[in-house]
Amino acid sequence: MRALCWNGVNDLRVERVPDPTILAPQDAIIKVGLSSVCGSDLHLIGGYVPTMRAGDIIGHEFLGEVVEKGPEVTRLNRGDRVITVSIIGCGKCWHCEHEEFSLCDNSNPQPAFEEMAYGHCTAGIFGYSHAFGGYAGSHAEYIRVPFADTNCFRVPEGVTDEQAVFVSDAVPTGYMAADMGNIKPGDVVAVWGCGGVGQMAMKSAFLMGAERVIGIDRFPDRLRAAQMKAGAETLDYSRVDIYDALLAMTGGRGPDVCIDAVGMEADSGAPSTKGLAIEDLYDRGKQALRLESDRPAVLRQMIQCCRKGGTLSIVGVYGGLIDKFPMGAAMNKALTFRMGQQHGQRYVKRLFEHIEKGELDPAYLLTHKWALDDAPQGYRMFKEKADDCMRVVFAP
Amino acid sequence: MTRGRDGGRRLEGSAGTLERWAAILGGTALGFAGARRGSWTLAALGGGLFLAGAAGVPLSSPLRQVALPAMRREPTTTQANVTIAVPANKLFRHWRNVRHLAALFPHLDAVEILSDTESRWKAHGPGGVPVVWNSRLDKVRENELITWHTLEGADLPHRGTVLFRPAPGGRGTEVSLTLAYHPPGGAGGDAVSRLFGAAPEQQAREALRRLKRIMEVGELPTIEGQPSGRAERGRVTAKLREVTG
Repeated sequence: MRALCWNGVNDLRVERVPDPTILAPQDAIIKVGLSSVCGSDLHLIGGYVPTMRAGDIIGHEFLGEVVEKGPEVTRLNRGDRVITVSIIGCGKCWHCEHEEFSLCDNSNPQPAFEEMAYGHCTAGIFGYSHAFGGYAGSHAEYIRVPFADTNCFRVPEGVTDEQAVFVSDAVPTGYMAADMGNIKPGDVVAVWGCGGVGQMAMKSAFLMGAERVIGIDRFPDRLRAAQMKAGAETLDYSRVDIYDALLAMTGGRGPDVCIDAVGMEADSGAPSTKGLAIEDLYDRGKQALRLESDRPAVLRQMIQCCRKGGTLSIVGVYGGLIDKFPMGAAMNKALTFRMGQQHGQRYVKRLFEHIEKGELDPAYLLTHKWALDDAPQGYRMFKEKADDCMRVVFAP
Repeated sequence: MTRGRDGGRRLEGSAGTLERWAAILGGTALGFAGARRGSWTLAALGGGLFLAGAAGVPLSSPLRQVALPAMRREPTTTQANVTIAVPANKLFRHWRNVRHLAALFPHLDAVEILSDTESRWKAHGPGGVPVVWNSRLDKVRENELITWHTLEGADLPHRGTVLFRPAPGGRGTEVSLTLAYHPPGGAGGDAVSRLFGAAPEQQAREALRRLKRIMEVGELPTIEGQPSGRAERGRVTAKLREVTG
């Protein structure tokens, strides 16, 4: 089959590889119908996540059809149209039983990397480096899904492929971000990053009762989508000082909930933002020298802006270490930090219901549908945010 | 860092990637441990274990020569702990059936029961070198504890304990595996590493992890045999070689 392989930093190629086969009794093979890019892939492509190996197939947000299943798969049938949650749960460990699927004890076949770096290992993720299990990704004609009964979900009739594909990752990640914010009536929610996950977080925040939602980004098309599609007010951080603007919009209180949908490759802002150009240079320099692995500009800004006693909800991906973390502000302002990779399996049913009722329509994230053969160019466009690209989705 | 023979699933990462990973994150982990306990001895021990764990990595050999002698002299005691969401009696029964142990310790080839308390164990090291020992049970407390020691003439003299305790709050069972290696000449952990290509600490941890996964989900997660661009390139190279002789 054809598959998009990572061959080194910024080196993606579509190659012929063997078809996947059933390797364990709880596996299923999915014929991929749609497979989306994700902002978190950019960390891999840029070389910020160690333990990638040349030849790894990437991609983790996909929809397809069950074409083969292992003898212990009971809840799926050949021909089922399914989405698969990007983060793999075994379905049996204490964490999976408590619906914390991304903390699964058992789905990562290569736990030693994470145990050394993080103290414990977390769940395996499709196409997301060997630290997260080394599972082959979905930018391919077929993909093998382990523990298929836990991770694959049949798509209801009333939900289109273009809506469903994002229920793999972007929708549950955004939804969980809002969920972790524990939003109460009257709350103002600020969302850093208006990409796919940020859009879904904004929409979800309204579904959970937020009074106002403010989206922060610098790309005009994304800010426009945040306004038009997610119903948010927007701030362009390259033009305004975010702290001043957020306080002005909230009577000096600051947002009650701050959501990070950016992660480790944040930039600290444009020259117009006071002093932040120096901060950005500092973080980029340290990251390049591997003295810090992640750039925490969004985190710092959220801590500064958040209302006293408010909540920071972090779903943008971090991999390693950050520097100059304003712990004093966080502690003295009594902030609550919630974070994590999505526990998608917990939300899928609810999300399909929202979509069927017309309360949520993630299909607008799909701005480009391309052939798999064009995937390297697709990622380039996505990375450079050219042609108003929110998400390019490959149809193999 | 899992090196060596994790059921054959070796992480064949390039030294560059792994060394970077090790440098960035391993160093930090140790730094934290050192700072937290304020103990240089502990930091040094951690460093030794880390390097032993990384022994399968193509780390530069001078580094290994400097760091490993520190662990050579004394018998090596290692402990691993895991919580398994399964009642103790099931785990105890599983462990008592020696046929199940080869799945936990991939180096193990055969266990022969000689009597109620004695058994003969055959394992293999790198290149299939046989490693043989006789073992005697010391204590067996139903659903709680099994201890054993090896008898005179063992290729891998050691004592072992596996302990099962109920975990609080319905979390299942806490399992501890303690292994103390006493090779003649006193080259504890190093001998084990030499025999099995992995540090004892890592072996104990991997064994308990396999037990957990087998008991909780009934299979070990794997990526062995999945497609990648590597396999194909390998085949192309092989074909080229065939063609070009």
